[in-house]
Amino acid sequence: MFTLYLAQIVNSGLALGAVYGIMALGFSLIFNSSRLINFAQGELLLLGGLMLLTLSRLTHLGPLTALFAAGACGFFLGRVLFSTTLGLSINASPLRQLMLTVAASLCWQGAAILVWGKNPLLLPQLLPIPELRAGPIFLSRDTATALTLAVASVVLLSIILKHTRIGRAIRAVSMNATAASLQGVNPGMCRALSFAMAGILAAMAAMAVGPQTMLRYDMGLGLGLKGFVAATIGGYTSLWRVFFGGILLGVIEAVLVLTLSGELKETLTYALLIGLLVLAPHRHDATERA
Amino acid sequence: MILTSSAYRKAVVVFFLLLGASGLVLPDFQLLAFNQYLFLAINVLALNFCLGLGGQISLAQGAFAGLGAYASLILHVRFPEASALVIPATTIGVFLLAGLLSLPMEKLGEGFLAMATLGVSLIFTNLVLTFDNLTGGSAGMMTDAPLTLPGIGVIAGDRAYFLVFLGLLALGAYVFLALRNSRLGRALLACKDDPPAAASCGVNRALVRALAFGLGGALSALSGIAYGHYSGFISPEQFSLELSLKALLFLVIGGPGNLMRPILAALVLEAALGQMHFLGDARTLCNGLLLGSALLFGYWRESKGKSLKRVQLPG
Repeated sequence: MFTLYLAQIVNSGLALGAVYGIMALGFSLIFNSSRLINFAQGELLLLGGLMLLTLSRLTHLGPLTALFAAGACGFFLGRVLFSTTLGLSINASPLRQLMLTVAASLCWQGAAILVWGKNPLLLPQLLPIPELRAGPIFLSRDTATALTLAVASVVLLSIILKHTRIGRAIRAVSMNATAASLQGVNPGMCRALSFAMAGILAAMAAMAVGPQTMLRYDMGLGLGLKGFVAATIGGYTSLWRVFFGGILLGVIEAVLVLTLSGELKETLTYALLIGLLVLAPHRHDATERA
Repeated sequence: MILTSSAYRKAVVVFFLLLGASGLVLPDFQLLAFNQYLFLAINVLALNFCLGLGGQISLAQGAFAGLGAYASLILHVRFPEASALVIPATTIGVFLLAGLLSLPMEKLGEGFLAMATLGVSLIFTNLVLTFDNLTGGSAGMMTDAPLTLPGIGVIAGDRAYFLVFLGLLALGAYVFLALRNSRLGRALLACKDDPPAAASCGVNRALVRALAFGLGGALSALSGIAYGHYSGFISPEQFSLELSLKALLFLVIGGPGNLMRPILAALVLEAALGQMHFLGDARTLCNGLLLGSALLFGYWRESKGKSLKRVQLPG
C-alpha cells in the first residue's frame, strides 16, 4: 500500500514538476537577460497550447511536425511579447516594465477568452511516448511525455547557451550588457531572443501540461507563479538547478496533495515562495542594481 | 513633488462636497453601482499609500480588504452590536499584519515584491477556501448583522453606506495629504527615488515603508468592512486578485503619488466600463489594453520630458 502511494507521488510529482521546471527555465532566461520578472509567462504557455490545439484540429500533426509547430508558435508568441512590452519601454523604470507584462498577461488572457471561450479544452497527446514500468516505479504516458520534453529542452538549451555563438552572446548580455555591446553584441536582439526562447519553452510546457490538466483561460497565472517559485528554489543561475527546483516543487506538491487538501497545498506553496524570497539574501542585490 | 497649496486643498474639499451632493441627489438604484465604484476608489487610494508614497508595488490590496470584511463579519456573528469595538480591532489588526508582512519584504526588488504580495493575495483566497466551516468557503458567507455605531445607530440603506464610503475616501485623502507633506512623507519619497541614498541619510527604510504599507492595508480593511456589511454577502471572488489588479490599473492610469487623478480615474473609468455591457467577454482584454496604453503613454510623456531637458542643458 505504502509503495503504491509512493509510486503515485513520484508519478504525479514528476509530471507536474517537469512542467514547472520548463516554466522556471523560461523565467530565468528572461530574468537574466533583462532583469525583468515576466508576469505573462503563464499566458505564453496558455496561448502556445491553444494555438497548437487549433492547428491539431485543422490538420493532422505528426510528432515531429507537432514539435516544430509548437516551437514556431512559441517563438512567435515570445517575440510578440518582447516587442509589446520590453521592446517598447527599454529605458523605462523596472516597475513600469513589470506592469507592462501584467498588462500583457491581461490582454492575452482576454484574447484567449474571446477566441477560445471560457471552457477548458483538451490538448491531445501529440507525441507517441509509451508508459514506463520498472518494478514499483510507474510513469504514466503523460508523465513520460512531460519528462522527455523537459529533459530534452534542458539539454538542448544548455547546448545552445554554452556552445553556440548566439548562446554565448545571450550569456554575455546577462552578465554585463554594456560590456557585451562593446564587443559587438546587440543586447536588444539577445533580449528578444531570450523572450522567444522562453516562448518556445512555454509551448513545450503546454504540450506537456495540455493532456494532463486541459487548457483554460485562467490557468496561466497559477502555472506562471509555480514556475516562478521553482526558479526561486533553483536560484535563477544554473539551468539544471532551476530545472530540478521545478521537479522538487512538483514532488513536494504531490506529497502535500495526498496528505492535505488542495487549497492547503496552494497555501503552503505560496508561503514557501514568500519565505524563500525573504530568506535568500543574494537575490536582492541583483534586483536593486537593475 | 507637488506641494499642497491651500488652493489645492480647497479644490479637494470642493470635489468631495460635489461628490456628496451628487450622492444625495441620485436615486437609490444608481447608488448601488456608485457605492461599488467608491469601494474601488478607496482601494486605489489605499494602494497609493504604498506605491505612490513609498514606491512599493503591492498586489495584496484585495486580500487586505477581504481580511477586513471576513474578520468583521465573523466577529459580528460572535459579538453582535459591538461594531464600535470590532471595527477598530479589525482595522488595527490588519494594519499590524500588513506592516509586519512588509517588514521582511522591504528589501525585495520590484518584481520580487510583486510576486510576494501576489502570493499573499493567493494565500488569503486559499485560506478562506480551506477554513470553510468558518468562512463558508467558495459558497460565500451571508450576514444580517448591521454595523451599529454609538451615537449614530444602525447603518442601513444605500444612502447611509454611500456616506460611509465617501467618509472613508475623504479620511483616506486627508491622511494621504497630511502624510505626503510631513517629514515621514518626505522620507517615503526618498525611499521611492533612491533607496540606498535614503538609507544612508538615516531613514529607517523598512519601518517607514511598513508604516505606509500598514496604512494602505488598514484603509483597504475599512473599505472591506463597510462593503461586507453593505452587501450582506461576501465570497472569496469579491476580494480576489482582480480587485488588486484593478486598483493597480487605475492607480497607474491616474499616476501613483497623485491624490485626485487616480480616484477620478477609478470613478469615471469604472463607471464607463460598467456601462459597456456589450463588451461582455472582452472586458479582460479591454482592461489589459487600457493598462498597457496608460503605461506606455506615461512612459512616452516621461521620456519626452527627459529629452527636452537634455536639449536645454548645453544651451
